[in-house]
Amino acid sequence: MADDTPALAVQGLTKRHGSGAGAVDALVGIDLAFARGTFTAVMGPSGSGKSTFLACVAGLERPTSGQVLIEGTDVTHWTEARRTRMRRDRIGFVFQDFSLIPYLTAAENVALPARLSGRRAQPEAIRTALARVGLENRAGHLPGALSGGQQQRVAVARALVTGPTVLLADEPTGALDSATARKVLQLLRAAVDDLGQTTVMVTHDPVAASYADDVVFLVDGRVGGRMAAPSVDAVAAQLAHLDQLTGVAR
Amino acid sequence: MTALALRSLRHRPAAAVATFMAALLGTALMASFATLVESALSAHDDDRELLIIMGGIVGGWAALIVLFSVASTVGIVAGQRTREAGLLRTIGATPRQVRALIVYEAGVVALLAASAGAVVASIGGPALFAALQRGDLITAASEYAGGPASLSTAAGAVVLVGTVAAGIASRRATGGPAAFSPRQAEVSALPLRRWRILVGGLLVAVGLASAVVTVTVTGKAGDAYAAMQTSGSASIVVGVGLATLAPGLLRLLATPLRPLLARSGSGHLAAANTTRRAHLLAGTLAPVIVLVSTAVGTLLMIGIDDRTLTAAGDPEGVGGTITMINSVVIGMICLFAAIMVVNAAVAVVAHRRTELDRLWRLGATAGQLRSSIVLEAAVVAFVGILLGLLGSTATAVPYAIVRQEGVVPDGQLWLPPLIALVAAALTIGAAWGAQRRSAR
Repeated sequence: MADDTPALAVQGLTKRHGSGAGAVDALVGIDLAFARGTFTAVMGPSGSGKSTFLACVAGLERPTSGQVLIEGTDVTHWTEARRTRMRRDRIGFVFQDFSLIPYLTAAENVALPARLSGRRAQPEAIRTALARVGLENRAGHLPGALSGGQQQRVAVARALVTGPTVLLADEPTGALDSATARKVLQLLRAAVDDLGQTTVMVTHDPVAASYADDVVFLVDGRVGGRMAAPSVDAVAAQLAHLDQLTGVAR
Repeated sequence: MTALALRSLRHRPAAAVATFMAALLGTALMASFATLVESALSAHDDDRELLIIMGGIVGGWAALIVLFSVASTVGIVAGQRTREAGLLRTIGATPRQVRALIVYEAGVVALLAASAGAVVASIGGPALFAALQRGDLITAASEYAGGPASLSTAAGAVVLVGTVAAGIASRRATGGPAAFSPRQAEVSALPLRRWRILVGGLLVAVGLASAVVTVTVTGKAGDAYAAMQTSGSASIVVGVGLATLAPGLLRLLATPLRPLLARSGSGHLAAANTTRRAHLLAGTLAPVIVLVSTAVGTLLMIGIDDRTLTAAGDPEGVGGTITMINSVVIGMICLFAAIMVVNAAVAVVAHRRTELDRLWRLGATAGQLRSSIVLEAAVVAFVGILLGLLGSTATAVPYAIVRQEGVVPDGQLWLPPLIALVAAALTIGAAWGAQRRSAR
């Protein structure tokens, strides 16, 4: 495999919800490639297809047509079980609602992907992962005993511990206040800079997007623009512009 | 809040089904016995005692199981509202209002179900009475006289217990901090409350006391049935007592099983769930304990009675009939307990859709989710059977001693393994069926 194979790519990705007259096109022929070690924010107004895009890439939903390539391998037509294993082994996930398992401790949550793969988790790797997010002394706590920001940092540790091909983050700061959100974003940025972690983050927050290398704007299921080295103001202005565009179109 | 409660019920009928089932079948069973007591008041003198024993004592055992099951089921359903309670409170509902909503909902469901149960009992009561008459246990001189008084008393007790149980469970549901975010992980398990430990301990003590009384007092009485009156209830009371302590007992007894389970990913999840979320799974454990304890204890007692009655001096030569009627009645009680096992297992698993979905997104395969739920149910069944068999000895051992069979009964030793097998199959089967709807 050549080194310039993107960690993640989609070609002609289309997703249609429902059928007949009531059908809604969530994604319409999206072509995108995410090079290794890059941090990309995917933005767009509500209903632009951001969440559907992430669900298709993660194998949670099957696209209507098009392809999802993980390190050049087409995973689109894999069986449900095979896509589940792919998600477990090669994709790290950070969700808006943290998605920690409430009856597992912080350390056990981080060890979960390994346990589900049938491997014994390496205690050293778990410790390192928790230390990376600054929670090594919270290893034995259940999620209920952690603050929202701490829970999300555990989720980041869990997403990184397997050394995934791609880290997918779905509004990772959506449920956090701005101070704890900054801490989580710094962790994601550090994973890109220090570990070369390819990261794709869906967000509607210009501040969150400013931590990324690139921003991809989705509008009505299509790629509506890109921006390199985004600043908060530029992203906010572009979003407002897109809102206006879709407002006119409707 | 009243309007909101009715709307919420209409919106989610599935959540009310468990409460409805328990209250309906429970009232039907309990009220059928209550009609016998009411009939006893106007019955011929010869029949009064038997009607009171059948309706009052055997019916009392049934009432204990019924009321416990209703309270337990309502507790499961109301406890599952923690998240929603937090959500309602973030938009300004006071804890009192949220509690009122939960109590009102449970009350309405219990009232509808108990009314329907009373109608069933108005058919079941006369049928039971006729069976006793056909068996020559009561004379033709007496007539069935059950009516609104006994039916409504039984139904009222079910509604009252259901409502009070909802009130207690609603305190747990609203117990979290006011700013409880619906996105936050659930509140962690609280230790068993003191009153619950007290009630459970008291019931176990009462059951053990009747076991002791059976051996020391009633077993030596002239009446061959005196021992049965004190002994029959012992396993039921101990079983309900242990079931009251179910969350603590599950945590305690499932912990040694952890290393055994932790070999696979799904076992690892099941092990963590049975120990750390014992307060949720205890809802399934409690009816298993009651089923096994009741069925094994009382059925062994009937068996011992059947074998030794002649030697003990059959007072009126009706031993065979009493055995038959006892078997039918105990069979009905056991059937109810068995239905409650399924009812509770389904209610507990059906609520876990969000959690299973979360595990699936993180990479747990459908097969892993299935096996983790089944393993969990197996742990619950194992612990329940263990405790249930322990409870059953409170009846079987004293009765065997009194009837000169020694500590271990002489026959029917196939019964405990059979009941254990049935209990395990019901618990695991119900969880398996419920997860098919909850998991993907």
